[in-house]
Parts: sequence; structure tokens; C-alpha cells
Amino acid sequence: MIGFLFFILLLFGFSHLFAQELGIEVSPSSPYDRFTIYETLAFFWAGILGLIVIIKMKLKEIERVQSFGIDKDGRDSPLIE
Amino acid sequence: MNCRKLKSWFEERYDIEPFRRFLKSKFVPEHKYDIWYYTGGIAMFLFVIQFVTGIVLSFYYVPFHEVAHKSIIDIVTKLNMGWFFRSLHHWGAQLSILTLFVHAFSTLILKSYRKPRELVWITGTILLGISIFFGLSGYLMLWDERAFAAVRVATGGVGNLPIIGNFIKFFLRGGIDVTGETLTRFYAFHVSLLPLITLVLVGIHLLLVQYHGISVPLSQENEIRGYKPFFPNVLYKDLMLWLMVFGIVVTVAALSPPEIGKKADPLAPPPENIKPEWYFLFLFQTLKFFPGEIMGLNGEMIAIILISFAILFFVLIPFFDKKSNRGERSTLFTWIGVLYTLYFVIMTIIGFLS
Repeated sequence: MIGFLFFILLLFGFSHLFAQELGIEVSPSSPYDRFTIYETLAFFWAGILGLIVIIKMKLKEIERVQSFGIDKDGRDSPLIE
Repeated sequence: MNCRKLKSWFEERYDIEPFRRFLKSKFVPEHKYDIWYYTGGIAMFLFVIQFVTGIVLSFYYVPFHEVAHKSIIDIVTKLNMGWFFRSLHHWGAQLSILTLFVHAFSTLILKSYRKPRELVWITGTILLGISIFFGLSGYLMLWDERAFAAVRVATGGVGNLPIIGNFIKFFLRGGIDVTGETLTRFYAFHVSLLPLITLVLVGIHLLLVQYHGISVPLSQENEIRGYKPFFPNVLYKDLMLWLMVFGIVVTVAALSPPEIGKKADPLAPPPENIKPEWYFLFLFQTLKFFPGEIMGLNGEMIAIILISFAILFFVLIPFFDKKSNRGERSTLFTWIGVLYTLYFVIMTIIGFLS
């Protein structure tokens, strides 16, 4: 009897849950796809940080040359190219 | 053709020496607050991201109310990397508006708007307004119930302005209520009118910045540590910051793509506990503080009038701050700047938490 009542309750009480709309998947959700996203992000950040380090090194070198004052052309110096 | 050959090919035909001389003659002052100079460059970089991702999305988006919502679902679920480009466009918009607010408030507090840079400030504030309208018009593209209700509230609020309010409301909506006409109209604003105005204004803004040079805060005029050449020193620093910002936008876009709600139904009641986008929260919260009726007058209308005056004062602040224009310190306007910033931040937080 209790089992039957439980069945009725389940049928009428929660049946709408099976009909409800599922949320729209706004990004790939399978474990493989998620792993690919994380992996790509790791490579992407390695690239970003690498570029920043290269630019920083280049900037330091430019500032070192500028500190000697040898980057400035003399007013009457001939153009050598 | 290698790089040297290409260079000489170009130099034989065009005289780039004046441009090179201009780049070499551009210097940026170094002082305690020079970090704020970079916010403008970051905002411009984010604008570029928005243009690129927006163009990609416009290839597939259908601006017709019957299919707009479905076309976004198709972009997200069926196109290769479509979800990522949509997410990048969404988060790029959030970050560009945030950066513009930071840029505007830092300019306000450091009084970089003072004579002779009044027009730089005015073009900047118009660009901020346009970016917010970009956000609102882009939000409706989603055509879900939240976007629909938000646009109905925002355009309805404008309608409370005396005399011109109803005209603006009707013009924005393309009718008496938000309908498919509004979507078509907002799409036209979002992809043609606003980008065109933005390009022109960014061009004028940059030209004026080049013309006047970079502003130094009054308190730092005697504290300048030196001048750094813009090219290559400052440009390299800009590049590093842009890379960091690009990394952050891409990471947030990949890990937290924005949700898509249910398709808008003009006849359905608005969803409960609806809130606008974060950059409208301070306005939303201000409107909530006003009662429905003040001495027999419409409370919302009074609030909208007061907000409009506050925004107008914000835009025209260089013309009111006479002391700064004379090169004197004006504590009053520093406090006004701090007050504007605090009001925006506190009201946004209250709006977010309530």
C-alpha cells in the first residue's frame, strides 16, 4: 500500500521534472573537451608569459643602451646605412 | 622580398621621415601616478578585440526576433569555437567598460581634463556613454527574457525625462513597447551606427592627446622623475600589459561562458529579482532610493532629472573647475571626483548584493 502511494506521489508530484527544459550548454562539457580547454589554456599562458619575458628583456637592453646615450644621433653626424 | 627590401621599396615611394621624427619626439613623463596612463591603451586594445569578435559573430547572428535566440544557440552549440567567440565578446565588453570607468575616474581625480584638454575629456565621456549603449544594445541581441526586461526598464526610464523623454523612448524602441522592431533597431545601432561614431571619436580623442601631449597632474609638476620615449619604451610596456589583459579575457571566456536564458516572451511577466548589467546597477539602485511620489510629483521622473544633471555636470566639469584651469590646486573638485567615484562603486556594490 505504501509502495503504491509512493508510486502515485512520484507520478504526480515529480513527473514534471522529466519534462522540464534542460539548460543550454554554453560550452563543451565532455571530460575530453574540458581537458583540451585546460591544456590549451596552459600552452596559451606559457606563450603569453614567454612573449612578456622576451619583450621585457628587449626593453631592458634598450634602456641599457639609452643610459649610455649612444642611441641619440649627433646633430652633424653623417648618415651611415 | 625581405624586410630591408620592403622598407626601401616603401621609402622610395613615401616620405615616412616626418612620421619617424614624430614617433621619436613623443615623450611620456614619469611620476608617481604614471601607471594610470596605461588604462587608455588597454581600453583601446579591448575595443579592437570587440571589433574582431563582433565581426565573427555577425557572420552567423540573425537579427530577427523569431530566430535571434535560436541563432545564438546555434552559434554556441553548432559552430566550431562559436561558444568561445561569443564568450570572448561578452567578457571583452565587460572588461572594456570596466577599464573605461577606471580611465574616466582616474582622469577625473588627477584633473587631466583641465585647460587646454577640455575636448579630450568631452570626447572621452561621450565614448564612455557610447560604450554603455553598446553594452545595452548588445544585451538585447540575446533576445532572452532577462535582456528583454532590462531593455524595457532602461528605455522606460529614459521615457521619464521631461519633454524629450517620450521621443527618445519611441525612437529607441521603434514603437510604444519593446518588440521585434527594437531588436532590428538595436542591431543597426550595435553593428553600424555605434562603431562608426566610436571610430570617429577615438580618432579625434587620440589626435587631441597627440596634439596636447600627455597631461601631468598638478601635484606632480615639480616631481617629474624624467621623460621616457614613447617609442619604443612605453609602447613595449603597453604591449606587455595588452598581453596580460588578453590572457585574462581569454581565460575568463574559456572558463566562464555566459548563460543563455529562455527566449523572450513579450506577453510574459518579467522574471523575478531581475537586475540590469553591473554598469547600470548604480542608476538602478539610485532609482530604488526614490519614493514613487515626492510632493505630488512622479518620484522616478525627479530621480531621472537629477541623474541627468549629475551626468551633465560630469561631462562639463572642465568648464566649472576654474582653479585647475588656472593651474592652481582645487580641493573642492578633488572631493567631487572622489565623491563621484565612491558613489559609483558603493551603489554598484549595494545593487549587486541587494
